[in-house]
Amino acid sequence: MRGPDSDPQGQDTAGALMAVDATLAGDPVDPQYAELAELALILREERPRTSDAFTARLDAQVQRRFARPAPAVRGTGLRRWLGGSLAGLAAAAAGVAVVLVLAGGHGGGSSSSSSAAEGTVVSSASASAAPSAGAAAGKPLLSITPAIREAKRPTGAAAATATSSSSSAAASAPGSVIPSPVIPGTRQVVQSAQLVLGVAPKRIDDVSQQVFNVVGQEKGYVNSSNVTSGGGDGGASFQLSVPSANLAATLTSLSQLRGAHVMSRSDNTNDITGQVGGAGQKLAEARALRRSLLKQLADATTTEQVDSIQARLHDANASIASDLSTLRGLQRQVAYSTINVRIQSAAAPLPVSQHHSSGFTIGTAAHDAGRVLVVVAGVALIVLAAMVPVALVGALLAWVIFAVRRRRRDQALDLV
Amino acid sequence: MRVVIETQAQPKSAGRRPTQNSWERFELLYRSSRDDIFAYVTTLLNDRAAAEDITALAFERAYRRRKTFDRRRGEERAWLFGIARNAALDELRRRKRVASLTVDPEDVSEPADDAGPEVALRRTAVRAALTELPARDREVIALKFHAGLRNTELAKVLGVSETAAGTLLYRAMEKLRKACDART
Repeated sequence: MRGPDSDPQGQDTAGALMAVDATLAGDPVDPQYAELAELALILREERPRTSDAFTARLDAQVQRRFARPAPAVRGTGLRRWLGGSLAGLAAAAAGVAVVLVLAGGHGGGSSSSSSAAEGTVVSSASASAAPSAGAAAGKPLLSITPAIREAKRPTGAAAATATSSSSSAAASAPGSVIPSPVIPGTRQVVQSAQLVLGVAPKRIDDVSQQVFNVVGQEKGYVNSSNVTSGGGDGGASFQLSVPSANLAATLTSLSQLRGAHVMSRSDNTNDITGQVGGAGQKLAEARALRRSLLKQLADATTTEQVDSIQARLHDANASIASDLSTLRGLQRQVAYSTINVRIQSAAAPLPVSQHHSSGFTIGTAAHDAGRVLVVVAGVALIVLAAMVPVALVGALLAWVIFAVRRRRRDQALDLV
Repeated sequence: MRVVIETQAQPKSAGRRPTQNSWERFELLYRSSRDDIFAYVTTLLNDRAAAEDITALAFERAYRRRKTFDRRRGEERAWLFGIARNAALDELRRRKRVASLTVDPEDVSEPADDAGPEVALRRTAVRAALTELPARDREVIALKFHAGLRNTELAKVLGVSETAAGTLLYRAMEKLRKACDART
């Protein structure tokens, strides 16, 4: 290069250029520039002119607005390749970002709370007699066999002893619910359930009180309870007994406590028809023995006979009391279902579980919308982060290509 | 050369539609610059046939890119000449050869030389000297006298300052004048 920028324009140069411009404009010039002016005029006259054919052809192309595809020029293929590559990289980056966001959403945070928040209900039926479990759930669950009915009509001292022992056992249950009449032939099923509720730490006391209220409404009672509040890891646990007929309603009420959400739930059933029958049979045999002993006692004539029969009668009464207690225990298990409720501190459930539990509301819609926006923003951020280096590399590549092409074009003038 | 556009094309539509769409602007630019582009490219390439192709290619590229034109970066005419220059240089680079024509091919539209034998001789000498000039100098002269660019536009097309463009033009004319003197 000649470096014209470093060569300041002298007076002669400026004068000559002004003379050239004046000549081209048709103005007179200084005689010292006459030769230059003549050269300028000749050069203008020597200007190549378009042919009519070319002019018509080019005019037609312009009027068609260059409808035909452009002729292939060098660099077009490279540009297309670069464009395709960048578009492919952008698409790949977007895909990776989406995968990362989705993976992060499921894997991050507390997996237990998120899975529990979906309201998964685990039902595990351990009943040995499955066919009868469903029927037992909707019917009076307690039945009394003929043997038990006989036992409910005690006579004499043994009957008094048996009644005393059973009432003392029943006294532990507030309300002492009288078992429903026994329906012969029905299955005896013991039901129980476990419920884990997640609540905010500050609402543990409130939710615990709601548990007590529900139990009272459903005519049940609390076997045991343990409530720990205050601090970040408070919790509570309850062992409840409710009439089996109210089990479903109780679980429903407990699942819908204000400020709590179900983290897990399991239902268990156990058929004890055989045990009840066995206990009843044993009780009937003991009663038959007692009746026989009472007859023998009435017929006894000697002191030794009376003493011996009374001793055996005492054993028979004890056996009857024991069998009656066992039978009433089984009877109570059938009549009352046990619910173990555990309340633990947990984060708020995901919107998905809210939808299942409380339906679609404006609040959940707003929450969903916010969540969607957060996810979209996260995806956009990751895509941006992935695209920045790609864009930098692309810009550098484009700059290099531009510089090289410009240099080559500049060198093309030296080839001529 | 905005003056050319305004004085030649603007009056046709200025009173009817103040704002022109891109196609109308391109058409005005084409009408006002077609012959200038061809003259410049022909002088640069020393090849009329190739110049016709390059001229058409330059206008087609300009048409495709007309919506990307940014007036803040210069006038449309300088932008168009930049496109034509790149296309011509690409053609030179593609051919990988020096323009071999030593004389301009016969121009059917060239006016008859009726100014006398001395002027005709002088023109022939200028024509021959011009084809023998280095391409850089020939390009500057072509932009100035054949395309009719002002010094500011010339500087824009070449990518140099206006002062540098004037210096390049002066030097090119000096070389041409000496070459003509040597021939005569």
